[in-house]
Amino acid sequence: MDKQHCHKASRTVEVTVLSAENLRLDRKSVKKNTYVVVRADPLNSGSTRADFEGGSSPSWNEKLTLDMPFQTRFISLEVKCRTGSGDRVIGTASLPVSDILGDYTPESHLHFLSYRLRDARGERNGIINVSARVKMQVESVGPPTTKNSVGYGCSSSWQQPTLGVPVGHRKNYYGGVVTGVPVWI
Amino acid sequence: MGLCHSGVRGGKQAIGGTSQQNPNSNNNAAHNDAVDFFFKSNGQEALFTQVELSLSASNLLDRDITSKSDPMVVLFAKKRDGKLEEVGRTEVILNNLNPTWIQKITIAYQFEMVQPLVFQIYDVDTSYHNKPVKSLKLEDQDFLGEASCVLSEIVTRHNRTLTIQLQNRNGHGILRKLGALTVHAEETIASRNAVEITLRCYQLANKDLFSLSDPFLRISRMVEGGGYVPICKTEVVNNNLNPVWRPLCLSMQQFGSKENPLVIECFDFNSSGNHVLIGKLQKSVADLETLHREKNGANFVIQTSHGHEKVLKGQLFVDLFLEKQQYSFLDYVSSGFDLNFMVAVDFTASNGNPRNPDSLHYIDPSGRLNSYQQAIMEVGQVIQFYDSDRRFPAWGFGGKTPAGTISHCFNLNGSASFEVEGVEGIMAAYASALHNISLSGPTLFGPVINTAAQIAGQSLSSNNSKYFVLLIITDGVITDMQETKDALVRASDLPLSILIVGVGGADFTQMEILDADNGQRLQSSTGRMATRDIVQFVPMREVNSGQISVVQALLEELPGQFLTYFRSRDIKPHAC
Repeated sequence: MDKQHCHKASRTVEVTVLSAENLRLDRKSVKKNTYVVVRADPLNSGSTRADFEGGSSPSWNEKLTLDMPFQTRFISLEVKCRTGSGDRVIGTASLPVSDILGDYTPESHLHFLSYRLRDARGERNGIINVSARVKMQVESVGPPTTKNSVGYGCSSSWQQPTLGVPVGHRKNYYGGVVTGVPVWI
Repeated sequence: MGLCHSGVRGGKQAIGGTSQQNPNSNNNAAHNDAVDFFFKSNGQEALFTQVELSLSASNLLDRDITSKSDPMVVLFAKKRDGKLEEVGRTEVILNNLNPTWIQKITIAYQFEMVQPLVFQIYDVDTSYHNKPVKSLKLEDQDFLGEASCVLSEIVTRHNRTLTIQLQNRNGHGILRKLGALTVHAEETIASRNAVEITLRCYQLANKDLFSLSDPFLRISRMVEGGGYVPICKTEVVNNNLNPVWRPLCLSMQQFGSKENPLVIECFDFNSSGNHVLIGKLQKSVADLETLHREKNGANFVIQTSHGHEKVLKGQLFVDLFLEKQQYSFLDYVSSGFDLNFMVAVDFTASNGNPRNPDSLHYIDPSGRLNSYQQAIMEVGQVIQFYDSDRRFPAWGFGGKTPAGTISHCFNLNGSASFEVEGVEGIMAAYASALHNISLSGPTLFGPVINTAAQIAGQSLSSNNSKYFVLLIITDGVITDMQETKDALVRASDLPLSILIVGVGGADFTQMEILDADNGQRLQSSTGRMATRDIVQFVPMREVNSGQISVVQALLEELPGQFLTYFRSRDIKPHAC
């Protein structure tokens, strides 16, 4: 964590990869061993474990926490399959950051999203279901507190426009007023 | 709406038990079209919520000379034609003007209807005291007073308790003080219990010729009279003799009791609709719990042509068995969760000149409501009890405002504020708008849906317990299908449901695409899919010919959509 004292240039996003539907590989239904790679940019990615049994409609329900640099426009979702001859890409989809930020919902609203997957040839290949949420930044100066799951300590240089007072996350109660200003460059 | 799933993909979906992992499936916790249709066609009521009413009274009239009155309450439901139908009675309490009755009266709560109730209190004469309460003839007893209310008034209150002043019969003035009646409503415990189970099969028989079986399970429960009624079915797993299905969530309302025998049938799916029975077995929920605990499998059986039951090699295993409490719709609603009603009215030229009696917007001086007024009244009258401030946003679209511009989302009351007070307020704003707005076109839903979605989204910053319902009444087919789909896809992630009523004689087939009951999810132009089916579409003329009203058809799925939204986000009712 030697990034403690530098300026924060990204926000944290939690993507829970829920499930996928109707996956096909080489025109046949996929049998098993599918997993998903979620990528905010080449440096920030995560992947789920493989679903051994789910077949063409697997489910993972796995939460991945990623750093998303400010200028990120899309988070890519890639569904892959572990086959005897290596890992193959079944389909990809792009999650526009505007779908989780910048519309009229509060920043930390839990979004349930679904996207059409397309294979390498650009043809339709199923649907992927995720939920995503931008983590509210906890203002803190100095060393990271244990509450901040990301572990960075210098949110005081956070340039986000004020959204009012974030209150009571635990009760799912959003305090404050959203100004609805899109927060990317 | 769709009473059956069209298309193979729709046919393969799980029905009945909710799959908790899929907030985007078409399942409802409460009702399901296909299962409901089965019940109604068999003459049985669908599985709605049972509510128990506890009653007490204060300051009752003293009718007896030497002692106090001996009161008993009789509950009536007022039917559409005004007739009273008895629902139940309490016991007789002797000698008491401030009684608290022990006997509760059970009544079915149905969200989609306005349920007017009439409570009548009688003083039971001494000579009848030893007779069973049911046999008492009310004409022979002394009338003490009557109170009326609507069931949703009681269940939406914070403590689900309502106190009403007693009046004379038919509310004919209050000659003297007759006292007050207090009603408290409680859902029966059964409404909240649920079990989540994951079922799996091993070594099923192969019924397909060139591939393997595509198995799915159908679970039915035994009802009085010996018949079996399906309560849910799993999704279809393709090409697999050892399938694992997604977790099923069954509420106690569906299976009755843990000891109630359930029949589990395993079929091989065929797109022709002729599913082949692979095998069946009979287990109660308690049996399934035992199977899970002991990690045993249960063998399927099948009737042979000789009439014997042959035990098959295929077995059923219960991988997961979890008992849980599900908060019900009434739990949310009585703890302060609101339904916020919004209306949008079509002002396109295809409706016809409002001065013309043929116009869909014609306001009949005799008082007969036109289709628009009817839809607003019927939906508004049900939802108004769930909206705490009774302030409803009301818009028009496709009309030319006095300023001369065509607007696709203008305030119905013509002022700067888009809200009106009460259902009467909507009717008044509608009538006055007909004078000020000239009908124009085209029919666009995008702007209205986006405005409603914006209100729903913005409410999230201050309040997590509002759910919005937008009623759109239109006479024509929309011309911005893709923009509407885009708006709906964006709105599917918000606490919003959209009810669309089609009036007049247009061909509304295209609109049924928006109501994704056939299993096809809406897709936006950017590749995003709708996460929930938030649209209900009903053409008014289709419903008028049937037994149920427009309102019932539209509102039946609303509690389910409401629950799906809050449950998937793990938002619980407010603690009392």
